[in-house]
Amino acid sequence: MIAPHDLRRLGDEILARLPGARSTAEVDALEAEALGPGAPVTEARRGLRDASDEVRRELGRAVNEVTAAVTAAAGERRRSLAGAERADRLAEERLDMTLPGRVPARGTAHLLSTVWDEVVDIFVALGYTVATGPEVETAYYNFDALNTPPAHPSRLESDTFYIDHGSDPEGVLLRTQTSPVQVRFMEAHQPPIYVVVPGRVYRRDAIDATHTPVFHQLEGLAVDEAITFGDLKGTLEYFARAFFGSRRRVRFLPHFFPFTEPSAEMHVDCFACEGSGCRVCRQSGWIELLGCGVVDPNVFTAVGYDPSAVSGFAFGVGIDRLALIRYGIPELRVFFDPDVRILRQFP
Amino acid sequence: MKASLRWLQEFVDLPTEDPGVIAATFDGLGLEVEAVTEVVADFRGVVVAKVLAIRPHPAADRVRLVTIEDGAGGREVVCGAWNFGVGATVAYATVGSRLAGGLDVGERDIRGVRSPGMICSERELGIGDEAGGILLLDDGLAPGTDITGILGLPDVVFDIAITPNRPDAMSIHGLARELGAFFGVEVRHIDITVPPSVPGGAARVRIDDPAGCPRFTARQITGVKVGPSPLWMRMRLRSAGVRPISNVVDITNYVMLETGQPMHAFDLDRIPEETIVVRRAAPGESLTTLDGVTRRLDAADLVISGPETALGLAGIMGGGDSEVAATTTRVLLEVAHFEPTGVLLTGKRHGLRSEAVARFERGVDPLLPPVASARATGLIARLAGGVPLGELIDEHPRPHRQATIVLAVREVERLLGVRLFGLEIGTLLRRLGFGVSGDDPLTVTVPSYRPDVTRPADLIEEVARLYGLDNIPTALPHGPGGGLSEGERTRRAVRAAMVGAGYSEIFSFDFIGRDHLARLGFGEDDPRGHPLAVRNPLSDELAVLRTTLLPGLLEGLRVNVARHAGDAALFEIASVVLPAPGEPIPHQPVRLGFAVTGSGPGPAWQPRPERDALDAVGLVATLAAATGVDLVLAQATEPGFHPGRCAHVLADGAVVGAVGEIHPDVAAAWDLSGRVVAGEIALEALARGAFPGFSVPSVFPPVVFDLAFDVAAAIPVGQVVAAVKAAAGPELEDATIFDVFSGPPLEAGRKSIALRLTFRHRERTMVDAEMVPVRQAIVERVRAETGGLLRGG
Repeated sequence: MIAPHDLRRLGDEILARLPGARSTAEVDALEAEALGPGAPVTEARRGLRDASDEVRRELGRAVNEVTAAVTAAAGERRRSLAGAERADRLAEERLDMTLPGRVPARGTAHLLSTVWDEVVDIFVALGYTVATGPEVETAYYNFDALNTPPAHPSRLESDTFYIDHGSDPEGVLLRTQTSPVQVRFMEAHQPPIYVVVPGRVYRRDAIDATHTPVFHQLEGLAVDEAITFGDLKGTLEYFARAFFGSRRRVRFLPHFFPFTEPSAEMHVDCFACEGSGCRVCRQSGWIELLGCGVVDPNVFTAVGYDPSAVSGFAFGVGIDRLALIRYGIPELRVFFDPDVRILRQFP
Repeated sequence: MKASLRWLQEFVDLPTEDPGVIAATFDGLGLEVEAVTEVVADFRGVVVAKVLAIRPHPAADRVRLVTIEDGAGGREVVCGAWNFGVGATVAYATVGSRLAGGLDVGERDIRGVRSPGMICSERELGIGDEAGGILLLDDGLAPGTDITGILGLPDVVFDIAITPNRPDAMSIHGLARELGAFFGVEVRHIDITVPPSVPGGAARVRIDDPAGCPRFTARQITGVKVGPSPLWMRMRLRSAGVRPISNVVDITNYVMLETGQPMHAFDLDRIPEETIVVRRAAPGESLTTLDGVTRRLDAADLVISGPETALGLAGIMGGGDSEVAATTTRVLLEVAHFEPTGVLLTGKRHGLRSEAVARFERGVDPLLPPVASARATGLIARLAGGVPLGELIDEHPRPHRQATIVLAVREVERLLGVRLFGLEIGTLLRRLGFGVSGDDPLTVTVPSYRPDVTRPADLIEEVARLYGLDNIPTALPHGPGGGLSEGERTRRAVRAAMVGAGYSEIFSFDFIGRDHLARLGFGEDDPRGHPLAVRNPLSDELAVLRTTLLPGLLEGLRVNVARHAGDAALFEIASVVLPAPGEPIPHQPVRLGFAVTGSGPGPAWQPRPERDALDAVGLVATLAAATGVDLVLAQATEPGFHPGRCAHVLADGAVVGAVGEIHPDVAAAWDLSGRVVAGEIALEALARGAFPGFSVPSVFPPVVFDLAFDVAAAIPVGQVVAAVKAAAGPELEDATIFDVFSGPPLEAGRKSIALRLTFRHRERTMVDAEMVPVRQAIVERVRAETGGLLRGG
């Protein structure tokens, strides 16, 4: 049976050696010399059961004292060493943070889509519905129902793409405006109607800086019991300010379209120069923005509305043109270029 | 239409000469001013002088010594021009004057003779191109007068875009009428004094087609001396952008610009039998027009003809055979009214855009022919010595009927949103030349020069125009609220998902070349191989409507590779056009298409996998997650795709698209060499369904275990996973494939599929023991459905 003072001597010796331990493994080994399986303290604790009361009291006290002292000292040494080891490991893990990183894949929405959505949202906020319609359209919806005379120049093959479908060579075409959707919508709904129609339109223009055979329009139509030209003015002024900024001023100049009467063009004062004249507005201070007017009674008659009971306004704005103006895009054909160096610039 | 301010002022006394104010006035009337050009004299110190004597230069053959009187006395100058003689009135640049381009004029020595100043040509004054001779001024001008005023300078020219509904504005007089209406001042009439005629004249006119030509006037004029027109007229024509030719031709152009009525002067002696017939062209007939082009005529073309052959295209252009020439002495002046549509179509058919076409196609005032004829006849008498022969021939088979419109006063407020009294409306309309009687409703008669006004709405537009659109008060109505259509919502959701997945959106043309479509190799019975053709395409590359978005996307990749722009991941959302025989219009479903090539994301200094079919598979999973639509892939073959790396996309068991790798031969057709991943899915199938209801995630710990199956290599993994899911019961939270391999220790033709299955109960902790029957059910189901055996089991 080991003597209490031998246990205490062993304890003192280990306590003296612990500060020299260089790793947590060495600490573990030193601790085990006293407290591990088969070690003197462990053996002594086991022998206590069979010892006399007197020996048990003396030895028991020594076992407890040494165990407590070694455990505490080993723990302290271990914590101290672990901190240093972690510091070493973190130092080794140093990464050159100027290396290119793992970039999450990111694409871009097309600028035309962004502007398209923005314009749609402006009108949705005014309580409008969004509708769309076919791009390959009949001459009836694109021209006849919109009060376009049979010999109107816009119907000529030099201006409109005709499609080989059905027996009439001039019966089916690529729509030249989003207005046919007005007619389809009115045929399917009764007033009040507040609708915007974004979409692709087509004109037979050769491709150059300012022309592409495909472009995009947003058509607006309001039909109700007492819609006036004043309502048209207020609505489009709201739109111009929502899109170009709240300080914008607008003006309306009389114009001509077959499907509206009276018709007008809306100009907005130049957002780039505040109207003093610059490259964006070609020194005029004003930017021609869109065509609009009070719905022609013949259009109402064509869809079965009574032009003496309802009135309405319609407008059409070029989405490409809005994008071109606001973002300073030099050429329309940029919008049809798939070069990722262009696409990535779109906000 | 170019309008000179001085010319306008001949007809109306304007309260302002400020070009900006006048331009804004035109704009406000719907006559859009596209440009304002201030025409100022580019010279000073040039005066009228009279040629008194001419003698040869002692030392030079090509120049002469000319004695002139310039108001301050006589002097002799050297002159190299030969187009004048003694008595001519010329423009003399005095010593110290300055000519166009900043040339200072002094006293020069020309071959030993001193020349104080010089006699000027048009070009030296910067008023024309003529440099071969000097400028000849009209006789009777006082020597010493500064020529600036004689040239009508300074002037302002407004270039105005006239809308198709305003034939009346295609003239100086019509524009003056508009300004007069706006400023409330009287507009002077056109001078229609015709000098006394001499008896005679044998010309005859016959209208065979009164629908195409409701009125035809012909005036015979004799004793005409063809020569240059006077300076003031040449200056006026130039201001309007018309080139001076000779007095007779210049007068017809001048009167057209002034009144808006096109006209044509024939050499009467060159009209066979002095007989004019207005008729449609005969089959096979041809005509050489003034521009020297021989044109094959269409049976719908209206012609001005002699008894046999056509002399000109009615209302468009005369023929070369009967035009006025230097030797002409007898003139037949045609001033007629033609139906607008016929002129428009004939003009388009022959590609002829003339000043006459621009007016007739809008509809010229039907009462104007005798007025314009009188004006031109008077000018020919004054400026070309002509004498009217006999009376005016005026064939008038379809007299003009004046239109009357009844306008209720409340209609004006109903459509404009501003309250006007009947009296105000009447005043505005009267200023524009309308006749008005009554208070409410107003009975309005329309002047003959406004054929565009036929209905109350047209009158309301006139009221709005003169009242001022900017004076109408604004209001902001709002709709009942409807929001985005389902199509728009889906477009936005899918676009956001694609952008988030690293793809960039492109817009491409709807028309493509047949050859591009053919590269995909659609079968004979595949509708995508039968695109609808554009009947009048811009080019062969834009000849048919796309039946798939893939060609545009592959072209997009090609462009990026060719430009070394870097790896591209592209998508487009657009409609395609598929044949639908018997339907009013073809089918036009909207599709999402995508294409990508190159390396996957990640820094280039670390290994990056090349894009392959698994990118397409993963993208479908992303779309399914983003839209909430259950999309399933099924191995398939599709034209244009890799035969072993293509899948149909199924939603609710229906094929809604295809994705995979593009066949290397197809990719090569677009100059793409690496693997190209692409696909196309019907946008409609990606519409988000009803929200399935919220479920609270379980807070209890999961039970996880792995299973590996030994299956025939041909069995799709998807089939094994489907069997596992079918047998696993509602507590299966996730089934992840973490290993797939073939080769030893497996037998040939077999593969191993290892899955990690996660189970979790919503309301309690699961114990391993309850997994035993579940595990057994899964193993049995997999064996029954795929023949797969549990490995190590």
